Amino acid sequence: MLFIIRSTVSIATLPVLTTGEAAQDAWASSLLVVPGTVLIVLLVGGLGIKFKEMTVVEYSAELLGRPLGAVVSSLFLLVFLHFAATDIRVYAEVLISGFTPKTPIPFIVGIVIALAVIASQLGIETIGRMADVLTPLFVLFIALGILGCLVTFDIQHLEPVLSRGSMPIISGALTPTALGAKYLTLAMLIPNTTKPSKALTYAVVSVLLSGVVLIAVATSTVAVLGADLSRNTVFPFFKALRSVRITQLIQRIEALAVISWGYGVFIDVSLLLYSGAKGLSQLLGLDDYRVLLLPLAVIWGFYTVESHDTLLELMHVYRPSTLIPFVTVMVFVPYIVLWIAYLIRVRRSHGESG
Amino acid sequence: MKWFKQLKQLFSTKHDDSSTDPANLEDDRLDISEREHLVQSIRLEPSIEANLKALKKMIGPSWDIPIRPLLLGTHRVPAAVVIIEGFSDKNQVAELTQALTVELLNSPLRDTPAESLPEAIVGRLLQSSKIDYADTLDGLWRLLTGGNTVILVDGYNRAIGCSSEGAVYRAIEEPSSETVMRGPRDGFIESIAENMSLVRRRLRTPNLWSERFIVGSLTKTQVAMLYIKGLAHEELIEELRQRISRIRIDGILGAGQIEEFIEDQPASLFPLVFQTERPDRAASMLLEGRIAIMIDGTPFVLCVPTEFSMLLHAPDDYYEKVPSGTILGSLRYLAFWSSILIPGAYTATLTFHQELIPTELLIKIIASREGVPFPVAVEVFLMEFVFELLREAGLRLPKAIGSAVTIVGALILGDAAINAGLVSPPVVIVVALTALSSFSTPTYSFSLAARLSRFVFVILGAVLGLFGVQFGFLLLLMFLTSLRSFGYPYFSPFGPLILSNMKDVLYRTWWWDMIRRPFPVGSREPIRQPPGRKPRPGLEKEEVEKREARRSE
Repeated sequence: MLFIIRSTVSIATLPVLTTGEAAQDAWASSLLVVPGTVLIVLLVGGLGIKFKEMTVVEYSAELLGRPLGAVVSSLFLLVFLHFAATDIRVYAEVLISGFTPKTPIPFIVGIVIALAVIASQLGIETIGRMADVLTPLFVLFIALGILGCLVTFDIQHLEPVLSRGSMPIISGALTPTALGAKYLTLAMLIPNTTKPSKALTYAVVSVLLSGVVLIAVATSTVAVLGADLSRNTVFPFFKALRSVRITQLIQRIEALAVISWGYGVFIDVSLLLYSGAKGLSQLLGLDDYRVLLLPLAVIWGFYTVESHDTLLELMHVYRPSTLIPFVTVMVFVPYIVLWIAYLIRVRRSHGESG
Repeated sequence: MKWFKQLKQLFSTKHDDSSTDPANLEDDRLDISEREHLVQSIRLEPSIEANLKALKKMIGPSWDIPIRPLLLGTHRVPAAVVIIEGFSDKNQVAELTQALTVELLNSPLRDTPAESLPEAIVGRLLQSSKIDYADTLDGLWRLLTGGNTVILVDGYNRAIGCSSEGAVYRAIEEPSSETVMRGPRDGFIESIAENMSLVRRRLRTPNLWSERFIVGSLTKTQVAMLYIKGLAHEELIEELRQRISRIRIDGILGAGQIEEFIEDQPASLFPLVFQTERPDRAASMLLEGRIAIMIDGTPFVLCVPTEFSMLLHAPDDYYEKVPSGTILGSLRYLAFWSSILIPGAYTATLTFHQELIPTELLIKIIASREGVPFPVAVEVFLMEFVFELLREAGLRLPKAIGSAVTIVGALILGDAAINAGLVSPPVVIVVALTALSSFSTPTYSFSLAARLSRFVFVILGAVLGLFGVQFGFLLLLMFLTSLRSFGYPYFSPFGPLILSNMKDVLYRTWWWDMIRRPFPVGSREPIRQPPGRKPRPGLEKEEVEKREARRSE
């Protein structure tokens, strides 16, 4: 089942569309993002394939005992909720700022959530297949956008190369890498795949693939807009595409990016909702996650709409200074605890048998 | 108390087994299910008089079932020949009657005693290629409806059926719903036997198996299930067998009924069972490991499991050159999606996103919309509605008047509406474009689905703009990907993505390159042919060696 690749390519590529920190050396930070994300995948997926039949909720209860396991799993569930909410919110902001300025945010949020609920209701199989269908479209549209950028490509925008030292590059890579924490969904998906042992390979391949997209997008954005503009805009890739005018006829190719982003958000958000609902149902000991979908969706909708008042406040979430601590506390620390528990267990069983 | 009786029937299948007396058939109070049951329970008796009496009671005043009494041989054994008019070939019946009368008297069999006479005439006199027997009245009737000439002989408690099928059917002609430029021109007709032979002529392997079912308690329609044994998955065959034998309806009159009984998702707008009128397509489906279902009385053959992409294939794709087949195939995909999306996208763009349209074009469109009293959505909706009306009217009318509809539609409605300023020309262009696109969809029921879902997209586009169109698109895709046909994913080569199947879907490759059968339908034996069969000049290596060996001798 290759669907992990396809579903996560879009997940990993999404942040690119929103961030651009490292000025002219954005391509270099994108390069850094890849190993960082691979690390996260190994952290999350590595433990996942040790417990092929279980989701993270189940094995954390097994490793840490029920109470502590529940705490850890609920942290993860919060991460799902949080990421899903911010993703939708960003998408809604883009749509509103670029296309339908008069539409109220709850409207768009509601529709995206409705789609995600329907998808999760139909099951993980449908989400996987949707990812199969949409990911080629997603990549195709972004590729077309980049192709359009080539016309106004100015290679001088990329110079001077690596002139400002390594700090900006690293800090530029931080946010996208931290967003790689969305690969946490892997921990929920592995039991659903037909070949769990291969899941890790696929996930790493997907990181590499999305790395390619990432570099291409980052480079073309800077090359079109120039370093300063791309650092100071909220959605640089859109800005870049908007400034492209190929002929009289082809002017507004950022529509391509919005469409493809819509596909990406759809897959992303449905996966997160599915993972959240599935995880919660296992935490509560329910048979079917589907009963949880509607209540979760309502909470999630309110959270999305009410958590941030303005776009600027929303973008604050993506600053390294907020995102890094968040991801560390919510993902890294729990996972390190889980790993330690696992290693202790292995050592102990070794001791018993040997 | 009738309703009570019927209620009782609903809840219990037990019948009143007390009477098997043919005399009861005269009872007018018997309802149809009771009559049917009674007929099934009546056994044939040795006495021909009793049998004929029962037969006459069963058929009542029906006039198309002549009973011809005969006296056989020198012992004057009473006998009768029964047929249904129009089911049997008159010449064959005449020959049979002649054999039983004149030829019997001239043959050495004429003195055979009554007890051994039936065996004697079957074994040594009758020239029919197929003889069947029946022990019950119901069986006798089945022989008759099968086109047999039934012979009853006194003292023999079985009916002898000599095959003499001769029902008149429409000639085999080119199917009107699936026409091709290059390719075979024969199509299925209404006779299941003829259809079976059309397929078997193409697939001459003995492993083309065909199972027969009788479906419909009153119509007693023959339904056949065709598959290549060893290629089609056994679970699939078993599943279909179950679904067909589960049907308990009183009548089957067309393929659509069977389709409804066997499809997975009844609410689906998109056809989940593939229909074809072409034997070559049915054969190609069988070669992929699918199952064909034939129904007597309809030229449509169903094929399962069905995939979305099959419905966008035209038979021509396989008879034309590969590059043109590929390009035309992709054109059809484009046409299909545009026939769904274009009106909605046009409405959305003009209502919400005018800035997406290049300025000059926008000015032109706005200028032409000057004075139109409706919003874009209403305009599009109206024109689409009118177009659907025209199409439906054209379909229902006799062919001779059909052309009048076109004139009314094109001239009066189109032209006059624009002149009167009720609709703008761009909308007419959009509607015409969608119409053309939907005409290029090869499967009718499929284009029907596209036609109907189009209206949803117009509404979504009018309310939510392009965002709404995308919302609808995602919903549609979600629906398509969640569908299954006999457990096989409907949207198969796209979602789940199966790259090896793309060879026959997004593009077409040469036959020598189609090494694998489609997955998962043909996965029982995935290899269709050995690789390396590309045409090339010169002799094969083995051939060269053989010739050299011969020369050196």
